[in-house]
Amino acid sequence: MIHFQDVSKFYETTTALRNINLSIEKGEMAFITGPSGAGKTTLLKLIYAADFPDRGVISINEWSTDRLDGSSIPLLRRSIGIVFQDFRLLLNKNVFDNVALALRIRNISEKEVKAQCLEALRMVNLRHKTDSLPSTLSGGEQQRVVIARAIAADPVILLADEPTGNLDPDTAQGIMRIFREINARGTTVLIATHNRDLFRETGKRIIRLEGGTIVGEDRG
Amino acid sequence: MPYSVRVALKSLWHERWVNILSALTIAIALVVMALIALSIYNIDLFSRRLPERFSVVAYLNNGLSEKDSQDIIDLIKKHSSVGKVRYISRADAWKELKTSLRDADYILEGLDENPLPASIEIKLKRGAVGPDSVKAFVADIRKINGIEDVQYGEGIVRYIYSIKTGIQTMGIILTAIMLAGIIFICYSTVKILFYRRNEEIETLKLLGATRGFIRMPFVIEGGAVGVLGGIISATLLFAFYNSVFYRLSMTMPIFRSITFPSEVYLSLPVAGLFLGITGALVAIGRIRY
Repeated sequence: MIHFQDVSKFYETTTALRNINLSIEKGEMAFITGPSGAGKTTLLKLIYAADFPDRGVISINEWSTDRLDGSSIPLLRRSIGIVFQDFRLLLNKNVFDNVALALRIRNISEKEVKAQCLEALRMVNLRHKTDSLPSTLSGGEQQRVVIARAIAADPVILLADEPTGNLDPDTAQGIMRIFREINARGTTVLIATHNRDLFRETGKRIIRLEGGTIVGEDRG
Repeated sequence: MPYSVRVALKSLWHERWVNILSALTIAIALVVMALIALSIYNIDLFSRRLPERFSVVAYLNNGLSEKDSQDIIDLIKKHSSVGKVRYISRADAWKELKTSLRDADYILEGLDENPLPASIEIKLKRGAVGPDSVKAFVADIRKINGIEDVQYGEGIVRYIYSIKTGIQTMGIILTAIMLAGIIFICYSTVKILFYRRNEEIETLKLLGATRGFIRMPFVIEGGAVGVLGGIISATLLFAFYNSVFYRLSMTMPIFRSITFPSEVYLSLPVAGLFLGITGALVAIGRIRY
């Protein structure tokens, strides 16, 4: 599903990732962990082509980073649901329209948009908030809107970058429950987090990054 | 209603003051362009009608026989530039002069004899009426034996053609400036809207929106602002024609000969649409992922 082959990424003065070799299989749920600056976000960005490796190749389904062009990037991104660290919610649009955005870009009928949107909001338990603006929601609710937007179009891969960053432990566990449900439906889930409590006793794969290098793997 | 149209309509309303200001500026530029185009059109129309009014007169030597005169007429008729030929005998010329001076016949007092020569009035073909072609034709017929003198409105021909060329050149330059101006207005308007929605565009790109999907609302908006500018300009032009031009033509007959084709009113919104879309496309440029 996702394969990193000797991938390195350099920024002006730093090495973000060095010689990464990694495979995430279809339907797998895995955590990428490590301290701030370890390269977790960069690794996710390379998967959804927000950035490109300076060395090595990443294959995601039928796409390969060495053959991606401007017209295939949107198609790749449509197969991936992303839970951004900074949410990226549009503050002038209500909850429904924010979630619907991920569906409307696919030019599907408004009827389908509504059905899929409400189903995604039901999964994250936010159907009663469809008309609310993001600014009126709590941090946990905003996070769930972002998750709803990421899963609305039924992606094959779900990437989450620090999805519980500023949330209290109970809300964080609620979010994790949603991810497990999504994974149970067959979606590959990859979560970047420095919060050890999230993967403790989950039995899921944990990939440890430090200084841009994979330093170990184990199970939670 | 498609999503892109809804987004464009929402933005048109939300940013209505920027859009109205742009549409008004476009309207003024389009009115100026339309007036330039109408001037060129009318000058061109006038110069096209010139061959019908323009004639060359060849004066014949006195004492030519009827056969000699006919030979000269036949020779002139053979020239490729000649359309119609009319022979004016000395007697006819004298009669025409008397008719034209019937209110000032004292001018002719003391003239016992007809001093006028016989002449041939030559109407040239449409394509042959130009400063250089008329000059060449006159030079050709001057060579014919029996022709004493040839006269034509050389100054008028040159004057009209130089005005035509001047206005055409100026028109092209001014039209190009106006076109660039309108495209720039649309470009600036869409650029402002594009920057204001930059965050939304970035999110759309990350969610997998194609370039076409991102561009479409801006293209619709640019086109709508252009069309609005076109409609305003057509209204202004209509008002100008009916309030100023029409009244002037009632009191000053010269204005009656000026043509104001109604197609102009339709072409202005179409021009606005085209220029608006062009400006929007230039403003958005190439969307990079």
